[in-house]
Amino acid sequence: MGKTVLTVDDDPDVRLFNVTVIEEHGYTPLEATNGEEGLSLIKQEKPDLVILDVLMPRESGIRLYRNLKTDKKLKDIPVILLSGIAQKSFLRSQKALTQFGGAAVPEPEVYLEKPVEAEELAAAIKKMIG
Amino acid sequence: MEIRKLLFVTKFEKLGFDALQSLLNLRDVSLNHIVFQNVIERDKVSMRRGTGFQKEEAIRLKERANIRFIGWAEHLFEQGMEVGVYIVIGKLVPEVIKATQKEAADLIVIGRSHKGVLEQLYQGSDVTDLLRRTAVPVLVYKHLSEDSIHLKNPFERPLLATDWSPASLKAIEYLKPLKKVVQQIDVIHVVDEKELKGTSAMDIQKTRKETRRKLDALCDIFEKEGIAARPHVYVGETDEEIEKAARECQATMVVLGSSGKTSWVERWLGSTPQTIAENSVFPTLLVPPEKQ
Repeated sequence: MGKTVLTVDDDPDVRLFNVTVIEEHGYTPLEATNGEEGLSLIKQEKPDLVILDVLMPRESGIRLYRNLKTDKKLKDIPVILLSGIAQKSFLRSQKALTQFGGAAVPEPEVYLEKPVEAEELAAAIKKMIG
Repeated sequence: MEIRKLLFVTKFEKLGFDALQSLLNLRDVSLNHIVFQNVIERDKVSMRRGTGFQKEEAIRLKERANIRFIGWAEHLFEQGMEVGVYIVIGKLVPEVIKATQKEAADLIVIGRSHKGVLEQLYQGSDVTDLLRRTAVPVLVYKHLSEDSIHLKNPFERPLLATDWSPASLKAIEYLKPLKKVVQQIDVIHVVDEKELKGTSAMDIQKTRKETRRKLDALCDIFEKEGIAARPHVYVGETDEEIEKAARECQATMVVLGSSGKTSWVERWLGSTPQTIAENSVFPTLLVPPEKQ
């Protein structure tokens, strides 16, 4: 079985796009529609890579990213942030949350701003998990 | 009863980011999560003869809302807040109810109804429809309305109008934890003139005294929480007197328990919360009774 890649995004069109790219390059796709669902799937399936949106209902990617990177068992799972939210805003938000007493978290391995080309996403996945 | 999560329902016409920003003082109490919602009414994208479902128009409207929300979200994320978004095609009230339930929101913020008089008469207003179907308080916000001043903190000086109903008492519980953002609460009860007809001066004074005593008891509840509270007795038409009191007390918001009237009665005879929510120049926080 190929390596698993979880895509967390509330937009079904984006999930379909990501899943297609993931499958076409020989990986096994998993899907979640918000941060809450995403975290529970990560704990259950331990994917090799997570492609994460930021702005979602229930729980945003910002919260999920923090939860992931502060969990001893999960923090080494690489993450590609794929969002319409600017990278600068994402980094500032993490800084603000750290200032409010949260733990410091590392910057994401890859940050792609939507919309992304299939080749660009595939290259990022390959770079992260081979 | 804390306000941790707020559902901000906007069509972008009246309620913009400046309105939302004026509510961010609630962060001093417990607010840490804003959920944006834009409901695209079906008739904007519905089938028309020869064109079918207007998919391109639907995409255009959704993306336009998305671009606005991304800008707002970036601003809030940078302040360390949690943000969520719903952009959906459907009917306003059912979609707001769905999002409120999914998110377990503590407060719904919405603009005043855009329906005309006839439409409201036959279909009811969005606000009253919403209040009948949720136990979550609804703030009808009028940040950019023609008469109102631009408020920095609408919760600074609320005027609580009470009719002693369970919903009015629930409103007290809702305001109690807001000490850090509330400067003073004015508590008012309007005695209907009909109640005074044919009675002597002594009886009228008795009514005033009894009302005042009950208001004092409510003020004591706030004072115990460290919030300054002042009682006021007014006499006359409820809607008019509440508006008058809000101006005289320099209130920044009117707070009311919503009625338990049936939709039919409310549509044809009106209700105080409905009238004030639709007509007052003040932002109006409506607290519905607990749902069975």
